[in-house]
Amino acid sequence: MSLLQAIIDGLLIGGVYAVISIGLTLVYGVMGIVNFAQAEFLTIGMFVAWFAWAFLGLDPVIAAPLSFAVAFAIGWVVQGQLIARVLNAPSVAQIFLTVGILIVIENGSLLLFGSQFRSVTTAYQTVSLSLGPLFISVPYLIAFSMSLVCGVALWWFMRASWFGRAMRATAQNPAAARLMGIDAGLMYRMAFALGVGLTAFGGAVILPYVTVFPGVGGQFVVLMFTVVVLGGLGSVAGAVVGGLAVGVIQSLSALFFPIQLQNLVLFIVFILVLAVRPQGLVGASR
Amino acid sequence: MKGRSAPCLFIVAAVLVPLLLDPRGYWIRVLTITLLFAAMAQAWNIVGGLANQISLGHAAFFGIGAYTSTVLLLKFGISPWLGMFAGGALGGLAAFVIAIPTMRLQGHYFALATLAFGEVMRVIANVWTSLTGGPGGLSVPFVPPSFLAYSFKLLRPHAYIALAALIVVTVIFQAIRRGAMGYRLRAIRQNADAAEVIGIDTTRVKLFAAVISGALMAMLGTLYAQVAVFFDPDTVFGIASISIRVALIAIIGGVGTAAGPILGAFFIIPLEEIMNGLLSSRAAGLSQLVFGVILIAVILWQPRGFITALNSLRARLSRKGAP
Repeated sequence: MSLLQAIIDGLLIGGVYAVISIGLTLVYGVMGIVNFAQAEFLTIGMFVAWFAWAFLGLDPVIAAPLSFAVAFAIGWVVQGQLIARVLNAPSVAQIFLTVGILIVIENGSLLLFGSQFRSVTTAYQTVSLSLGPLFISVPYLIAFSMSLVCGVALWWFMRASWFGRAMRATAQNPAAARLMGIDAGLMYRMAFALGVGLTAFGGAVILPYVTVFPGVGGQFVVLMFTVVVLGGLGSVAGAVVGGLAVGVIQSLSALFFPIQLQNLVLFIVFILVLAVRPQGLVGASR
Repeated sequence: MKGRSAPCLFIVAAVLVPLLLDPRGYWIRVLTITLLFAAMAQAWNIVGGLANQISLGHAAFFGIGAYTSTVLLLKFGISPWLGMFAGGALGGLAAFVIAIPTMRLQGHYFALATLAFGEVMRVIANVWTSLTGGPGGLSVPFVPPSFLAYSFKLLRPHAYIALAALIVVTVIFQAIRRGAMGYRLRAIRQNADAAEVIGIDTTRVKLFAAVISGALMAMLGTLYAQVAVFFDPDTVFGIASISIRVALIAIIGGVGTAAGPILGAFFIIPLEEIMNGLLSSRAAGLSQLVFGVILIAVILWQPRGFITALNSLRARLSRKGAP
């Protein structure tokens, strides 16, 4: 029974992992850039939601769109002013530019907000629903549902809207997209801003059960990479599968191993997947 | 040979400067750490520069070296000089083991896999408390100063050992780059398939580079442990403190060149120290923030490193000098 419980918890947590990692895979899929600073936008989203809660009394779930908007705006500027300049540079320059952005955001938030841990209190924080012998934690459930809504909205946006289709066209063939009158630079900015916005949204919805501090993003870096690599770097549907898988792996390994080894299992899975199927578990080889 | 004058000048300066610095002072420490990081970036350069595989997990080998020599000294009283070679052997072995599954990966995938490997080692060092002391870290025990015991009263010998290490690693790097192995590595970097077709055993060549690089990195870990005297898993196995910093030094200086890591180290490490000294008393995070901004500016200005700026400057000067 505890096995089933662990799987349920894992799926609920994994849904959120999916949303925060979709941002990373979107940026890679459209631009071919691995954004090491992606997890810092999770920190930004969490801080925005925390301040909205502390000063405006907003529940983090209500504040999540605000987190999305702030990160979207920052992402728009970062892409337009910084990343656009290295699109054709060697990949080491791309990697280390995003590492620089990571350092700036992490230490900027340390400077602005200090190193203390901040958490919110909500009415539903410790509530759980009982389903026979199983328990479903309400904050997990809410975060999962919000992620689901967000994921469906993105899916619709990419599939049905003109912007979404133009973005996918740019990802497939930038030159051809330009010939069709699509402004590739605009699409890149849109993809990057949307990607970091989604990650920030995920940051806001996990605030009821994760405390925020300037280094919180760092705890998610390898996790996010594991999710997107499991699903296939660049694949949005893959990130959903990868997110759920990582959530379940994490919560199952907590059953069998001491808590310190939880991440070890994840890292080893990560290296094995890279070695055996670098195109991801669901991805076709490209 | 015109190209010989710069290295000779550097070595002469590096031999003289420690004599001028206060042997108990702060700056000789900065110099020692800078030389060590230059050597580490040079060891990284064998994989990152010659084989073009951007490793973000070199802290794994570095930490193995720091822990091996210190544990051997603590438990069996073995001199760190011998511990250094034991660490080097283990580091090379670790590089071999991780190279087998990751060698075929390219670009971002290789970077991510090595990043995860570094984290695996950090987690193990934190958990294996009986051997490593866990998160509390290890102190290198005090032994009466002598060269054989690798124990000195002052920092000056450490500075010279670091300089010697930098020279050795640079000579090895140059020997590989100029030798047949360097041609094979460059062929693989430019076109792996074509290299395979003309008969280069790409797997063996990459494996060779990875093992040499890992072993050297581990030996430098021992040197670091002897200078630092105290360390914990998060420092010697750290992503930011070692893996990324080492790669960054080589990249900022100029990947794949012998001078690049040295230029990079003499830019980054003193810069960080100066900023910590100036700014860390004012506000936490400010010095690292400024560091990040400078890093972004340098990469946008010279995506291929200082060495290209230097070379184009030299080319312009010699063109002007020519009658």
